[in-house]
Amino acid sequence: MAQQGTTGQRDYFAEARSFIGHRDEQRLGCVTEVALQRYAVAVGDLNPLYFDDQAARAAGYPGIIAPPNFLSAVLGWQAGPPEGELRPDGTTAADVAFIALPGARLMGGGQELEIVRPVRPGDEVTLERRLADVEKREGKSGTLTLLKIEKRYRNQHDELLLICRETLIAR
Amino acid sequence: MNPGQLTFDQVVEGAELPTLTKRPSQVQLFRYSAVTWNAHRIHYDAEYARYEGYPDVLVQAHLHGAFLVEMLMAWMGPQGRLLRFAWQNRAAAVPGDELTCGGRVTRAYCDAERGYVECSLEEKNQRGEVCAPGSALVSLPLKGAPG
Repeated sequence: MAQQGTTGQRDYFAEARSFIGHRDEQRLGCVTEVALQRYAVAVGDLNPLYFDDQAARAAGYPGIIAPPNFLSAVLGWQAGPPEGELRPDGTTAADVAFIALPGARLMGGGQELEIVRPVRPGDEVTLERRLADVEKREGKSGTLTLLKIEKRYRNQHDELLLICRETLIAR
Repeated sequence: MNPGQLTFDQVVEGAELPTLTKRPSQVQLFRYSAVTWNAHRIHYDAEYARYEGYPDVLVQAHLHGAFLVEMLMAWMGPQGRLLRFAWQNRAAAVPGDELTCGGRVTRAYCDAERGYVECSLEEKNQRGEVCAPGSALVSLPLKGAPG
């Protein structure tokens, strides 16, 4: 998506490449019924699998499940910074704190999800993020640096729930 | 089995998936930002969005993906399983746009237990522009229970 009103273009490619292989891990806490159901309501998706234990059991699940893209769609799991520490556009640098690119604006370029296990209320989720690769693309407005991030979500039994391969555009 | 459940024997390569049309509102974008803890101003502050060169507040990247997932889950039925899902954000959308999610079966194969269906996906606006292309792999029960 094209953006205007930005400051001068800067090339983050070389800087970002030095972080390939960097990783971090964070505890996301417990998935609650109300959190996953509010997510579904906000989407406008009232699929009974997210709301009705009986319907979910009839479909072969132990009870209600979260929408398959719920975990990867939530941007912040901790309290997050106070308002005064947000950037002028409202975003927070803490989203990708393990890749230090001061001044870079990051935009989501899409995701690839591998859904391994259904996410259920009561799951205690841990997220491991790793910078898998960095690519360069010449765009209309200059050089874009593409950060390829791999995120693995696990539950309290160390079972893999979801793998998310995400491309962030740094500019 | 639920009589409405889609089964693998009903799936044909090349067939179109039933479409789902969504009309995101400002209230929807606000609530989606809230539940995903996304304070990015381009999604709720129209003046700021215009400063960045957009006509209005923007539909979140993940909400485009969520609309495609909603369409897939409705099509597959409760006994379908979404195994892989990918999408890209290509064009921006704003409240009042009419976003239609659809897709096409690109490949269908099975083992002894389940059928597997690969699909190409597309979310288009009212002008026919593709906002979010994508792809999915789902698994389905092989056949409806006899009787």
